[in-house]
Amino acid sequence: MKENKALRRFREVAAAPYDYLRNLKTVTGKEMIGSTCSYTPEELIIAAGAHPFRIFGESKGLSHADAHLQAYGCSMVRGMLEDGLSGSLDFIDGVVFSHACDSIQRLSDIWRLNVKSLHFDVLLPVKLDTPLAKSYFTKVIGRFKKDLEKSFSIEISESEMKKAIHVMNELRNNLIRLYTLQSQYPGFISGSDISAIVKASMVMEKQEAVDLLTHILDEAGEIKLADMPSNPKRILISGSICSHPDISRIIEGKNAVVVWDDLCSGTRYFEGLVPDDKEPLEAIASRFTSRYVCPAKHLGVEFQMENLKKLITQHKVDAVLFMFLKFCEPFSFDYPDIKKALEKMKIPFLMVEMDRHNGVDEQMRTRIDTMLEIL
Amino acid sequence: MITLGIDVGSLTAKAVLMDGDKIIEKHLISVGYNSKTAADKLLSELLDKAFIERKAIAKVVATGYGRNSIGFADKATTEIICHGKGIHFLLPEVRTIIDIGGQDSKVIVLDGNGTVANFVMNDKCAAGTGRFLDVMARAMETEINDFGPLALKGKNPSEISSVCTVFAESEIISLVAKGEKREDITSGIHFSIARRIVSMVKRVGLIPPLAMSGGVALNVGLIHALESILETPVSTTPLSQFSGALGAALLAQEL
Repeated sequence: MKENKALRRFREVAAAPYDYLRNLKTVTGKEMIGSTCSYTPEELIIAAGAHPFRIFGESKGLSHADAHLQAYGCSMVRGMLEDGLSGSLDFIDGVVFSHACDSIQRLSDIWRLNVKSLHFDVLLPVKLDTPLAKSYFTKVIGRFKKDLEKSFSIEISESEMKKAIHVMNELRNNLIRLYTLQSQYPGFISGSDISAIVKASMVMEKQEAVDLLTHILDEAGEIKLADMPSNPKRILISGSICSHPDISRIIEGKNAVVVWDDLCSGTRYFEGLVPDDKEPLEAIASRFTSRYVCPAKHLGVEFQMENLKKLITQHKVDAVLFMFLKFCEPFSFDYPDIKKALEKMKIPFLMVEMDRHNGVDEQMRTRIDTMLEIL
Repeated sequence: MITLGIDVGSLTAKAVLMDGDKIIEKHLISVGYNSKTAADKLLSELLDKAFIERKAIAKVVATGYGRNSIGFADKATTEIICHGKGIHFLLPEVRTIIDIGGQDSKVIVLDGNGTVANFVMNDKCAAGTGRFLDVMARAMETEINDFGPLALKGKNPSEISSVCTVFAESEIISLVAKGEKREDITSGIHFSIARRIVSMVKRVGLIPPLAMSGGVALNVGLIHALESILETPVSTTPLSQFSGALGAALLAQEL
């Protein structure tokens, strides 16, 4: 799609998210509350008058974190700790730890002892899709609300919560529209721009992100089919995190397009809406308990396969690229069975492991290129 | 139609010139720091060797790690596809290929038509690559070309347990200090690399017949170790080192 101001703004923020946040804090005076997982009730942070953002863990050269975490641990968690210890998050006021996986739980402990900031734990239930989980999680979210109120000496009103739910739903709706357009008109926007938009949306003031995205979507109304790749192969990326722009470039260089993803840095951020006709805390909890369940909260391989099959059919996927963070156990545990199931279905796929801090090397490129050349 | 397949790997660059389905010339040089310079040199030496002019070549396909930096290529294709194509041309029955290169190793499974159906690649560790054999040959003070034949002389292969090139080297120094025979240690080294490759073969699933491509296919010690562990014959061809470039030249015929 054509260059425009909104797209440039998203790219700028995605390239230097912490600079944006430092500036936002100076301009608005808002408390900056970082999060470590997509299971964070951002609505409550917004309703408390603070600003929620995702900690990315992109510090290069892990010199501080390795004193606390083993080298064979998840590179995203090690990177987040490095961000905290190295001073690159010197503007933060607090961090929310949603206990999705073991590594984030341990990160919470290490953070509490070593980084001076407000500390919030959101204790996710082991199972997320049962009626009991829903009532338990509503209480957990209520507790988080109280923790915020106590920390900021405020009272979070129902109307503020409803406003926050509204803006977050608008953002989610816009991101879903963006993805749906890419699935309908593959290649109308580059994959690296989509990654930048989602990443920046995790950082920016939500209303600003909504407005910029609305502008982009309005412009996209004039898609010229002639400017788009002809009959590209349709790829689904599944896994933990993949925000490396080189991956999109490699894929697009072979006349293929990522038409959907199942990533923490993608759809898992914005999937599902918070019902706006319910009591806010219950409504926020119900979004988390009724949407796709992250493999960190294992629901069984069959569940993962059903979800994959649904996405493959819905988006007419030609091949699946699994991008796993090295040592990210929840995904690795499921993979052997998923591999068998995909082989049976005769769906081409490839699994590559990435370290958060390494770029894409020639070997990884050879593997991705080969899968695309075979299609 | 005359086509050129050019395979710029991490250690060597290979070129094969074809006219239809006939190989008319081949050439190999070492790759230095710059793969683009190596490709230019390879092309000019090949043209001299074949007594033809550049304009006689209708199409060029590049492969190998340097494939995307070859300015004169019409298309870049990965070495996995090209090795499959090249081996299928030379040994049409083969369904599984072990390709050990300078900095990685791959196992490729072909369907009945010679198209790549599946592959697995070890790309993060020097153990199980040509580089491992280079380092070990140096540690044993043996020329790389004599390393395989020396391994065949070993009657009681030494146990090399380390899976890391650096630690395997120090393990070998301990074996030398213990007085183990040079040929037994060398044989042990070949069995250790073969075990790593076999685990990759098992991951992808062996469909016989099996062949080996790439420069390491010239090593008789490794072929012997692979055959012993897999209990199946491993075919090779005198053109094993050129099978990637050959596959690229064949693909260029289809352009």
